[in-house]
Amino acid sequence: MQNADDKGNANDDETLGAMLSARGIGRRGLLKFAIAMASSLALPPGVAPLMAANLAKAKRRSVIWLSFQECTGCVETLLRSSSPTIDQVIFDFISLDYQEALMAAAGTAAEKTLHDAIAANKGEYLLAIDGSIPTKDSGVYSLTGGRSNLAMLKEIAADAKAILAIGTCAAFGGIPKAFPNPTGAVGVEDLVSGKPIVNIPGCPPVPEVLSGVLAYFISFGKLPDLDERKRPLAYFGATIHDQCYRRAFYDQGKFAHSFDDEGARQGWCLFELGCKGPTTHNACASLKWNNGTSFPIQSGHGCIGCSEPDFWDAGGFYTSLAGGSAAGWRNAGIAAAVGIAGGAATALAARNKSRPDPEDKP
Amino acid sequence: MTLLEFARGPAFQASVLILIAGVAWRLVAIILLRRRPQFAEPRHGLPARIGGGAATILSRFVPRRTFWPRIAVSVVLSATFHIGLAIIVFGGAPHILLIHQLTGLTWPSLPRGVISLVSGVTLACMIALLIRRLNHPVLRLLSTADDYLSWLLVFLPVLTGILLSGETIGGYATLLALHIISVELMMIWLPFGKLMHAGLVFAGRGLMGMNFSRKGAAT
Amino acid sequence: MNIAPTPPAGGAIHPSEEQVALAMRGFLADIGPASALALDSCIHCGRCAEACQFYVQTGDPRYTPIHKIAPFKQAYEREMGPFAFVYKLLGLTPKVSAGELMQWQELLYDSCNMCGRCSLICPMGIDIADLVEQARHGMYVAGMTPPDFLGVLAEKEKSTGSPFGMTTQQLQDALHDIGAKYDVVMHVDEAQAEIVPTISSIDLKTYPSSMAAIAKILNHMGASWSFRTDGFDADNVALTAGDRAGQRKITLGVVRAAVACGAKTLVMPECGHSFTEMRWEAANAYGKNLPFRIVQITELLAEGLANGQIRVNKAPQNATYHDACQLSRRGGASAAPRVILQSLGVDLHEMEDAGDANWCCGGGGGVALIKRAQPLRDKAFAIKKRQVEATGADKVFTSCSGCRQTLDHGGKATGWNKEVASLLELVADNLRD
Repeated sequence: MQNADDKGNANDDETLGAMLSARGIGRRGLLKFAIAMASSLALPPGVAPLMAANLAKAKRRSVIWLSFQECTGCVETLLRSSSPTIDQVIFDFISLDYQEALMAAAGTAAEKTLHDAIAANKGEYLLAIDGSIPTKDSGVYSLTGGRSNLAMLKEIAADAKAILAIGTCAAFGGIPKAFPNPTGAVGVEDLVSGKPIVNIPGCPPVPEVLSGVLAYFISFGKLPDLDERKRPLAYFGATIHDQCYRRAFYDQGKFAHSFDDEGARQGWCLFELGCKGPTTHNACASLKWNNGTSFPIQSGHGCIGCSEPDFWDAGGFYTSLAGGSAAGWRNAGIAAAVGIAGGAATALAARNKSRPDPEDKP
Repeated sequence: MTLLEFARGPAFQASVLILIAGVAWRLVAIILLRRRPQFAEPRHGLPARIGGGAATILSRFVPRRTFWPRIAVSVVLSATFHIGLAIIVFGGAPHILLIHQLTGLTWPSLPRGVISLVSGVTLACMIALLIRRLNHPVLRLLSTADDYLSWLLVFLPVLTGILLSGETIGGYATLLALHIISVELMMIWLPFGKLMHAGLVFAGRGLMGMNFSRKGAAT
Repeated sequence: MNIAPTPPAGGAIHPSEEQVALAMRGFLADIGPASALALDSCIHCGRCAEACQFYVQTGDPRYTPIHKIAPFKQAYEREMGPFAFVYKLLGLTPKVSAGELMQWQELLYDSCNMCGRCSLICPMGIDIADLVEQARHGMYVAGMTPPDFLGVLAEKEKSTGSPFGMTTQQLQDALHDIGAKYDVVMHVDEAQAEIVPTISSIDLKTYPSSMAAIAKILNHMGASWSFRTDGFDADNVALTAGDRAGQRKITLGVVRAAVACGAKTLVMPECGHSFTEMRWEAANAYGKNLPFRIVQITELLAEGLANGQIRVNKAPQNATYHDACQLSRRGGASAAPRVILQSLGVDLHEMEDAGDANWCCGGGGGVALIKRAQPLRDKAFAIKKRQVEATGADKVFTSCSGCRQTLDHGGKATGWNKEVASLLELVADNLRD
């Protein structure tokens, strides 16, 4: 068997099965992985052997990862992904041909790598994007090598097989899009049409979601079922509320009223403290973070809805869904004044239509 | 902006402001009309008259015995509906939470099961009242578009609230948005139609009570 | 409010354009904060209909009390309501039409006693009876008061001071004749008097004995008293006709007469509307507090019986008492008649709903003076008849000549064998020296 090169890129002809074998991961290991993936993707268990067989035969898929107006948190979370054997392996199932944080090359060498990867895999590469794309002022607010991300996206998306918008910024615009959105940030789907797009939102997204989507794509050559926001149904079909372990307390009406109060210590529902679980679609309530260790609600903080569009502008993390944004006392005073003035004007106009003196002829 | 964000944001602000402005307008336009001075010697002094006004506000909730046979059905349906609505609005946890966030006041909520039951009864009463309004000859003569619109604007919040609480049909976010918007529509219409009776009832009964106490007449 | 206008039966008055305009302005004349609140508050619950004798006895929804004032409310909404400019601009409320005035004449006059049962039932605290009275102001200036007899009597009262056109001389003569006939000392047009009783024209015409009764009792009390022919008309037909100017004129006549002779007490006779008018509106017409108190005759009698100024023999009999709406429910004088009956040892069998909640005899508010309203009046009277008969009493006392006359006429028409009697005369007939 030929060894992988420094970047972990195998020989083009080598199948995944062969490559894994070289690492000591045999059929059984691959099958176990496939079972786990199938379960995670909510596929029927009978599909797992087929997945394993397909994975064994598959060639490594080229992935070009472009980081736009982002904080690198999405990349970091994926690197922290918790199953060292399996999820790391995923990155061996693909050929991560370009990723600025991870690659050794820089400057013009990096540029050349990108150019070569695109040329070599034209029409076949998966384009992974993290970070939003600024559109104001011709996208000058995020440039790579002097080129705007806006222009880069348009060009590089054209020859991609499919696009993965990773993280809420790439999917929906994310934090940069928050009011007043000075850079005109938008998500990938607002700029690209005519290509299959998967949104994998979250701030950051759950790492197992990316693994699952890639495994599915590599096994079956297509994207898994998506909802109307292009999110994989398997992971985003349910809300946090639907899968939350504290749901029983919600149903019983047991709420924490303030942080660290008696109810909070008892682990009661965090609805009153602003939890957006009911309106947030994600897998963190079931998959959790750090290999199933915990997630925000379990740690005592309400869900902030980070996988939903415009979560930053949804009226405050600590304002419950039952509340809204108040108009403010000043505006209320103005409204009252308008009402009083209008009413007074109406009454004064009407006053001389009444005649208290009966002698006063109408 | 999603529907829910719209409902919880600009729509909420606008509807509250319209409510405040409209109510102020309607009340001031009535209060500032030309008043006739009263010189007749009252039978009772001012404290007794104020007491009479307050007493009338309370006593008119239960009609006099002489009227009961002919209006019992109307009174029972109407009372059940109003009390049910009050229980839902002031006893339901999410509503108390809203008031808490706006004013700081809070009090214990009623169990979900109780609110569910009361909601069902309230909904049924509303339907019965509508059927009555459509069939009773007096009500058919008196009723205007405002009567039916006002009914709808109260019915929708109760209905969407039930649907939201059960989360059976439609997604939570959509149901919540519809529920909030339905309440906002009611708030916007309130100052301009018969829903204003929520405030006028106290003014009217109080004024009648004071005037009639002045004369020693029956309240 | 969406009924196609149909011409009223028999003797339709068709108002001209000018009269319709006068009606609109007349409707608006009374509107202050209290009326506006009342007009703005109706929630269309329909309960007022269930309190009204005319709806209850006929099942006709047009007699729903709040419906009777529809043109009045229409004028308010279009011209003086909080959102009048919107209603007018968008054409949401049309001008009151001639057809509406014609159609509503029956509703505002023939089928309303202004008895106030509707005001008592209204959950919004709307004084519907008072709104009817105000609405009649607009109808009157448009010439829409039913002429036969209400309109005619009102005109006569306005021009002569008495609904029957009696001159001062005729009045003085009539009073002296009564004195002679009943052997009672009459004081008429004295320069000074502490007590001034007023006269109802119904009494003059139909129950002259009640005038003698007042005189007898006041003499028995040893009071300084006098009738004043320059201010005597307790009927105030103008009020029920809707003539604000006439109403005030009559009222002020009485006030000035009482002031002129330095009266301390003005006594209203057995009459409903006159009491409410004088007691609660006279001072307003006068423009300041009155220098005398105003009592209804039953209040005076009850007072006198309580403080010993009036002494009576017992007159045991079984009877029931019919409360005049304006005295009890509207006037707050339900207690006085019972004090009187008790003092006289009458075995009182109260009717159902006696006192504040009583049913109107059907003749109040001018309805007794509208000839064509007789069938309606009889239907309302049927309730009273049933109530009286249920008590098992042979006699019905009342303290309002209007009710007395209505009960008499109704009784004759339906052939009942009850005697209708005046409480005032009962006292006068049983005085003990």
